[in-house]
Amino acid sequence: MANLLWLQGGACSGNTMSFLNAEEPSACDLVTDFGINVLWHPSLGMELGDNLQQMLRDCISGKIKLDIFVFEGTVVQAPDGTGEWNRFAGRPMKDWVRELSDVADFVVGLGDCATWGGIPATAPNPTDSVGLQFLKRDHGGFLGKGFTSKAGLPVINVPGCPCHPDWVTQILVGVATGHAGDLTLDEFQRPKTFFQSFTQTGCTRNMHFAYKVSATEFGQRKGCLFYDLGCRGPMTHSPCNRILWNRQSSKTRAGMPCMGCTEPEFPFFDLAPGTVFKTQTVMGVPKDLPEGVDKKGYVKLTGAAKAAAPEWAEQDIFVV
Amino acid sequence: MSEARVSSEQQAADKALLEHLESRLAGGLEPEIEPRAYSHEEVLEVVGRLQKLDSNDYDAKLVVGGFTLEPYGVGEDEQACDTCMYYQVHREFCELPELMLPVGPKWSCRLWRI
Ligand code: SF4
Ligand code: SF4
Repeated sequence: MANLLWLQGGACSGNTMSFLNAEEPSACDLVTDFGINVLWHPSLGMELGDNLQQMLRDCISGKIKLDIFVFEGTVVQAPDGTGEWNRFAGRPMKDWVRELSDVADFVVGLGDCATWGGIPATAPNPTDSVGLQFLKRDHGGFLGKGFTSKAGLPVINVPGCPCHPDWVTQILVGVATGHAGDLTLDEFQRPKTFFQSFTQTGCTRNMHFAYKVSATEFGQRKGCLFYDLGCRGPMTHSPCNRILWNRQSSKTRAGMPCMGCTEPEFPFFDLAPGTVFKTQTVMGVPKDLPEGVDKKGYVKLTGAAKAAAPEWAEQDIFVV
Repeated sequence: MSEARVSSEQQAADKALLEHLESRLAGGLEPEIEPRAYSHEEVLEVVGRLQKLDSNDYDAKLVVGGFTLEPYGVGEDEQACDTCMYYQVHREFCELPELMLPVGPKWSCRLWRI
């Protein structure tokens, strides 16, 4: 039996919604089949008021063993570093986060807000929000660069806006069943099993990417969304086209560009007008090229790929 | 957007229009070749003007689009239709929604992007 506590800071509850939508395993399966005891969760917890405060204090004192501490949302530090803008159970949430992180065997940051600040930390960041161990790309965040939980791991970051239900449940099951040692994390502490490949891996538009055939409208079945509509699939580490959403689809499969929501810079360009769903270019060449590709190579490849493109690549082959 | 293989009638119409556009460009039309539409604001401005045009007003499309019969720029910075994202190689056609006209592979316009 592994005790799990889930708290929420500066967040929209999107990751909670994702978690509650999990199917294989479902949130209930975690309890009945995988021995996870949910001590408290913002949508499921039964305790209120004094009882909740007591439970949190018992976790901190060690009376209740805290195996997994899940945090969703940013750590709000405003105003003036006090955290008073996000009070919970009688005190600033950030104080609970610090003390609970110190006693938990594992700390899991869920969603972009908890991992690197996400949308709340977008400039000018009025709530002085940070992620648990990062602020955007800067290592440190609220808990500090050197933080490790009692099991010796840093915060396990499961980003996404929101993260996919399976990413949450599979990590929780892995940790709860004693397989945390099998997890390898990347430089941003994301489990590599999910975040080593790219959104583009498995995208149905890969052939259009290869032949440089562009989609020019949302929802268009033909064409790749990289060239005009700002798809970040080739630069974004996520399994969105391997582990499908609702077991059915993904943004790019539906004709919607990947927004790069599992990367620390999300939302990119601070959401400045003209930067969303539009490929950013310098003299007509994309500013962000697929990982590992330089401008010269890109220009050469484009010329060769377009010249070699077969006729069918320019047509809508998804005929009903 | 092209949905299916281009018919022979369409091919003939494309060819006739391409020749017409070429003669207009060679015959003294003065397109707005610069400034190039590099920034978001510049693209919006050019595209906004194109959107207001009658879709058959090809002279105006050539002028506002800043068309040339040869590539703009040289070497690595060459901007030719045949490397542009909106260019359909087989139909020799620009499918930028605001343009939608036949173009030669070595033509160029100020909305080029790769
Ligand atoms: S739509 Fe996006 S993810 Fe898919 S092939 Fe194009 S750039 Fe890659
Ligand atoms: S948008 Fe591209 S393909 Fe179309 S005319 Fe301009 S350079 Fe040529």
